[in-house]
Amino acid sequence: MTRSTPNSGAGSVVQRTVLVPSAVLLTTLVVIWAATGAGYFWPMWAALGLAIPAGLWLAIRWARLQPRGASRRYAMQASISLVLVLTDVLVWAMSGGGYFWPIFPFIGLAGALAVHRAFLRPGQRSLQLRVDELARTRSGVLDVQASELRRIERDLHDGAQARLVALSMQLGRAEERLADQPETAALVRQAREEATAAIRELRDLARGIAPPVLADRGLVAAVESLASRSTANVEVVGEIDQRLPPVVEIAAYFVVAESLTNVVKHAPGASARVTLSLDGAMLVVEVADNGPGGADPAGGGLTGLKQRVEALDGRLEIHTVANEGTVVWAVLPFE
Amino acid sequence: MGSAAVRVVIVEDQALLREGIVALLAENGIEVVAQAEDGPGLQRIVDGHRPDLAICDVRLPPTFTDEGIRAALEARRRHPELAVLVLSQYVEPVYTGELLASGESGVGYLLKERVSEVRTFVESVKRVAGGGTALDREVVSALIADRGRSGSDAELGALTARERETLELIAQGRTNAAIAREMVVTLGAVEKHVTNIFAKLDLPAGDDDHRRVLAVLTYLRATGGK
Repeated sequence: MTRSTPNSGAGSVVQRTVLVPSAVLLTTLVVIWAATGAGYFWPMWAALGLAIPAGLWLAIRWARLQPRGASRRYAMQASISLVLVLTDVLVWAMSGGGYFWPIFPFIGLAGALAVHRAFLRPGQRSLQLRVDELARTRSGVLDVQASELRRIERDLHDGAQARLVALSMQLGRAEERLADQPETAALVRQAREEATAAIRELRDLARGIAPPVLADRGLVAAVESLASRSTANVEVVGEIDQRLPPVVEIAAYFVVAESLTNVVKHAPGASARVTLSLDGAMLVVEVADNGPGGADPAGGGLTGLKQRVEALDGRLEIHTVANEGTVVWAVLPFE
Repeated sequence: MGSAAVRVVIVEDQALLREGIVALLAENGIEVVAQAEDGPGLQRIVDGHRPDLAICDVRLPPTFTDEGIRAALEARRRHPELAVLVLSQYVEPVYTGELLASGESGVGYLLKERVSEVRTFVESVKRVAGGGTALDREVVSALIADRGRSGSDAELGALTARERETLELIAQGRTNAAIAREMVVTLGAVEKHVTNIFAKLDLPAGDDDHRRVLAVLTYLRATGGK
């Protein structure tokens, strides 16, 4: 049920659909070239043709690793320009050198980059710096909050809860010794039951902060635990083999928890499928059910989730189709 | 559970609770032969004292995460005859499942506050030490909802069609009388099916309700994901 193969799927798809056919094609061309007298090495032009899209693909992948916003757009333009200039230089070299005409497209593309950079005017640039700083400090605040909540949970566990457990145990022992004084024994039993109720309330409170299994075993185990508690039939597909920042794990956990609660509440009898996967530096969470659909994205629970996810620069979408089901989809970036 | 004294070790980092449990068990004729405060300590005293039962907390030093569960599973791997009773401040189906899957000897998972119900707790300790099972009522209700697991069908495969039907009805919470009405058989026939089911599924002895709940658990764990 739990697979641990992050992103290897994408790699093998590229290998299967692009790399292998390309290698076969080039080998074939070289064989034809050799068989037809091995004259001018024309297969290099086919290799160039294949190298251009590969270069662009790599350039775009690299640029997408940059922080979102203006700097990513700038990186995108710069990396694509670099690929185009390299292509021109290769074409120049492969066509026998001579007059270095690639200088002109180079000047043109460099000029366009300079214009782009100039458009990040001083004001805009300081705004960008301010946005970066706010994003950084906000995520710092959220990290602090997550670890503070975790500390409170531990303090409850080791402090008040532990003392109440010891108290209720002593009351239980006292009750045993009062077998010959039923009225006093009844008082002690009441006190013990009150202590037990307080323990239960503290436990619910602690669980609302973050379930221990999330901190202990990580997101996939915590979601499997949720699934096994749910009265709905829930399948979990977890493709994560690393620990994520606590604040991201907690947000993802509550997305799943709230979504499964909604499945039980609004789609009784439906089954659900929870998918957790990594896409680069993004955690993707999807909870799909085959219930009657008709979820209200403006409902209180879903609005709260959306805010929680957006506070982490993530996105949450709800797709609901009558008689077919509902999909809650969230993507959470992590560093 | 035989007449020989039950020998128990306790691993709990909260001294107040640990000493309280030791006193409580002593008052009820159960000998605590060693105590420890952390996961490595559990291995040490189990290796050294060969107890019938280890009682341990989930959250223990040094990691303060699920150290106790990991230590208990490791101890059972090394001493398959060791019974384990886990006490925790929270119910965690993942851990319960791991414990139940970890061997044939006695297993228990109780919320810590159950120690205050002294007589029931002592009974649970003796039952687990004797090879039985003691699952907290909250653990049971969490596991009853457990339909997402898949498991071996070997135990259930030994049931006849009628027994399987009876088991399904028990799982739905029906009484023997209701099952008899549903299956249009006599009450005596249902009782015979129930007896056969418990024998074939090799469920531990206990009062009738307990046996029924365990039957439900086995059923749900084995047919989960259907």
